[in-house]
Amino acid sequence: MATHDSFDAIIAGAGHNGLTAACYLARAGLRVLVVEKNDWIGGAAVSRSLYEGWTYSNCSYVCSLLRREIVRDLDLPRFGLQVIPYEGGATFTKGGDYFAYYSDHDALRREIARHEPRDVDAYDRFSRTVIRQCRFIRPFLLRNAPDPTSLKARDLQELLFLVKRAHGLGARELAETMRFWTMSIGDFLDEHFHSPLIKAHLAGSGIIGTGLGVYSPGTAYVLLHHYMGDVDGAIGAWGFARGGMGAISKALGDCLTEAGGVIRTGAGVDRFLVKDGRVKGVALDNGDVFFAPVVASNMDVKRTFLEHTDRKHLPEDFLRGVERFKIRGSSAKLNIALDAMPSFPAAPEGAPFLKGDLHASTSLEELERAYDDWKEGRWSREPYFDMLIPSQIDPTMAPPGKHMMTVFVQYAPYDLEKSGVRSGSHWDDAARTALAECVFDKIEQAAPDIRSRVVHAEIRTPLDIEREVGLTEGNIFQGELTFDQLLFNRPVPGWANYATPVEGMFLVGSSAHPGGGVMAAPGANAAREILRRGAKRAARAA
Amino acid sequence: METFDVIVIGAGHNGLAAAAALGARGKRVCVLERSAGVGGMADGRLAHLVYNLSEAERRRLGVHLSEVDTVSLARDGRHVAIRGGSAAYADGGAHPDAAAYAALHARLVRFAGVLAHLAEAPPPGFEGGLTSLEGLREIARLGKVGLGLKRLGKAEMREFLRVVLSNAFDTVLDEIGDGPLAGALTADAVRGAWAGPRSPGTVFSLMYRLGQGGRVFRAEGSMGAVAAAYAEKARAAGCDIRVGVPVARVVVEDDRAVGVELEGGVRIAAQAVLSSAGPLQTMLLAGVAHFDVEAARRARGMRAKGSAAKVNFALSGRPLFTGLSEAQHGARLVVAPSAAAVEQSFNPAKYGELPKAPVLEMVLEDGRLSVIATHVPYEGWTDARRAALGALVAETVEAYAPGFASLVTGTEVLTPADIAAMTGAPGGHWHHAEMGLDQVLTLRPIAGNARYRLAVGGLYLCGASAHPGGDVTGLPGRNAAGQVLADGVL
Repeated sequence: MATHDSFDAIIAGAGHNGLTAACYLARAGLRVLVVEKNDWIGGAAVSRSLYEGWTYSNCSYVCSLLRREIVRDLDLPRFGLQVIPYEGGATFTKGGDYFAYYSDHDALRREIARHEPRDVDAYDRFSRTVIRQCRFIRPFLLRNAPDPTSLKARDLQELLFLVKRAHGLGARELAETMRFWTMSIGDFLDEHFHSPLIKAHLAGSGIIGTGLGVYSPGTAYVLLHHYMGDVDGAIGAWGFARGGMGAISKALGDCLTEAGGVIRTGAGVDRFLVKDGRVKGVALDNGDVFFAPVVASNMDVKRTFLEHTDRKHLPEDFLRGVERFKIRGSSAKLNIALDAMPSFPAAPEGAPFLKGDLHASTSLEELERAYDDWKEGRWSREPYFDMLIPSQIDPTMAPPGKHMMTVFVQYAPYDLEKSGVRSGSHWDDAARTALAECVFDKIEQAAPDIRSRVVHAEIRTPLDIEREVGLTEGNIFQGELTFDQLLFNRPVPGWANYATPVEGMFLVGSSAHPGGGVMAAPGANAAREILRRGAKRAARAA
Repeated sequence: METFDVIVIGAGHNGLAAAAALGARGKRVCVLERSAGVGGMADGRLAHLVYNLSEAERRRLGVHLSEVDTVSLARDGRHVAIRGGSAAYADGGAHPDAAAYAALHARLVRFAGVLAHLAEAPPPGFEGGLTSLEGLREIARLGKVGLGLKRLGKAEMREFLRVVLSNAFDTVLDEIGDGPLAGALTADAVRGAWAGPRSPGTVFSLMYRLGQGGRVFRAEGSMGAVAAAYAEKARAAGCDIRVGVPVARVVVEDDRAVGVELEGGVRIAAQAVLSSAGPLQTMLLAGVAHFDVEAARRARGMRAKGSAAKVNFALSGRPLFTGLSEAQHGARLVVAPSAAAVEQSFNPAKYGELPKAPVLEMVLEDGRLSVIATHVPYEGWTDARRAALGALVAETVEAYAPGFASLVTGTEVLTPADIAAMTGAPGGHWHHAEMGLDQVLTLRPIAGNARYRLAVGGLYLCGASAHPGGDVTGLPGRNAAGQVLADGVL
């Protein structure tokens, strides 16, 4: 390939959303080029081997949100994608007990009753509400967000769809829905449950990846971002992609290649080329230049416009909107190679819930305090973690008899405080190690022998995630999931439809509606928008 | 048995407003107050300023109010004097963020004005379904609000839809630098709320505060004058106000409220009973057996954790605040050094602890410094803890007014628990129920009971827990009276 080729569309960034958009465009007959700064594809959905014999899902680590419509459209199983569901999970206490979550309803009721008999029926009420909210929201994920200020037929149509769905709920459910969307996960759980341990176990999903605490309004909605997925139609179920999360990216990449698309790794976009308000192509950081009438960025909105686009091409109010779009780093990640399965003394021999997500935060207060630490620029002294050992289910992740462990840590700030000054540059090796030690201390609450099992550990701070993946501040959602940044406000009010003020330039990452998680919805939605506009243009030309 | 058309439980300003509105329509109204005086939370011991009273209501009441400035105190002496949208250093120097603050303030007031329409009538509801006559009326009413939004222009409407659900911390700091000015504004957003400025939804509560332009008034004399004016208005409308008369229960027959029974067993009959208490207290007065499980559970789950304490210092002389002119001593004095400090002041309250550096709103009166201190825990109070809070507040004031402590001859600390005991306000909460997004408008105070009505016929809520919420506005009371009349129960 020459270094000055022209294409129909160029995608900047081979994250799962960029690849998804590229697949749809290539299948529609466009000549598509995907450029990626790293030597590998996948963005935050990667499987990498950093230690001989082990495979890490370095960033994202479990799969559920990937829209099944997209899996079907792109026939991803044919390209090797296999999602294996895992069951259950547990929260370990300091006193040697645990609360186990089972997908078997009767087993779960017995376990809840063991802790707090009053919470047994409360759980049924809780899950009814959550499932109902999931059902309500799912159809919106693969649609454009309506712009309430617009009178265009398309926006009115989307608005009508929303009103119809809302009307279908009935007055009572509608009130319940409005309440759920504006509540905090802490208040929502307090309203249902008595046991602090059960509340803490269920609360984690409301804060993962966010700059919010369990008592911040809006976190009940974030919970949905972790429940609205499915594995093989089982709503709310989670699974491992066989071979790690990179398997998703690999399947998308192979799908793209088969459809005639081209992927070029090892050189990222230096700048988007714009002339007279129209995008012309991209200049890469190795000097290569490619041209296309359509350029879509998989980078987050800040990175795309504040770092790689000349400001003079952008209207002032749009820039202002981009500047105040909040992307806050709040999570760290540990990927650990283990020489054997760690022991969990509290759990019965061979307990099935060890194959699921494990935690050690035992009350909402502890979680809220963890958030308070983050606000002040410190990592949580008692961090919340979401820990899994996928090699129990997927043996391809580690050598026989050995295990791979993934630990997602909340909260760790991007701009670490040091003598009154906050800066990302404070993340040096000493800080990184201190964070890891703090997390290991907390893991010991569940698995006291964890430290002796470790043969290799990769510690990823928000700064590391930003540097490697390119996510601003290492934020896993490419932007906070707060009301002021959802739906028609995402990422900039008036620009929620994947298009941007630069003609022909689009956003396909999770800065766009409906937001983050390995969902691929922004990519698929953006591709649909690009094709629709292209078809219109073609019609006009004809 | 004595018979009235309407009995109002509680002579807080909202109860009195409801009574006056019904009395003016020729209804025979009896107001029963447990304590020895009228006013409830608008009493001079608890309240010291008027924030949110509409021009029309002020005229109706005929009370004399004078507008005051706000001075946000700074440890380095660079105090900021604020009047509405204008801000300058207290010594007259120009504040670097003055223009940005003016624009932000003007915008928030404009947005608040759109929302204020919603406060003056029962909240939108769709109980009859969207296609019923009532539903269509609702749509028409919301359409008016929508029109108000459209009139803002497309760009401003977008901005409205973005910030209305946002948090005060980001919304303020996106425009101005952090310091006493941002501190004062974010403190206003969360005073009395169980939330820090970083909580989403705090811009809504700030806009609520700014519904009448954000001006702050002192009552001539004390706040007691405002409460007295409400009582006078009710009396003039023919209402019978009885103090020192606690209601034991609401008498319910055939799922209808038919009167009340006083402590001691005397019954008074009425066709409708309005309660200034919260939904749970009201349900308990009527007997929880009359309500379905779901409604009772919701009432129990209503969020009402008071976070504001009232501290009254009796003084032997006038304290001098460093760097303030004589006139500025009459302003609303705020200690909120930054938005970050306001957030920090909330952290300990969440865990039942006293703040390390409380946020204060102070008014210097004759012989008294009246202070509202936030955020404090709402429960777990002992005398030792009250004393600790009093000392902490005095120490904070001392830092800005050296010599203050030596002037103090008496300290009264009223915690949220005390305020709840004195007034019956749920949780001692400023607004009777948290003004979170999940408890405003159609969801206020609890989902399914937003139109002042409870499930028992003829039983209504008329206190601040009902729409639109707290502050001395008289609106919950007047709206409730309107709903009673519209329902035709009389």
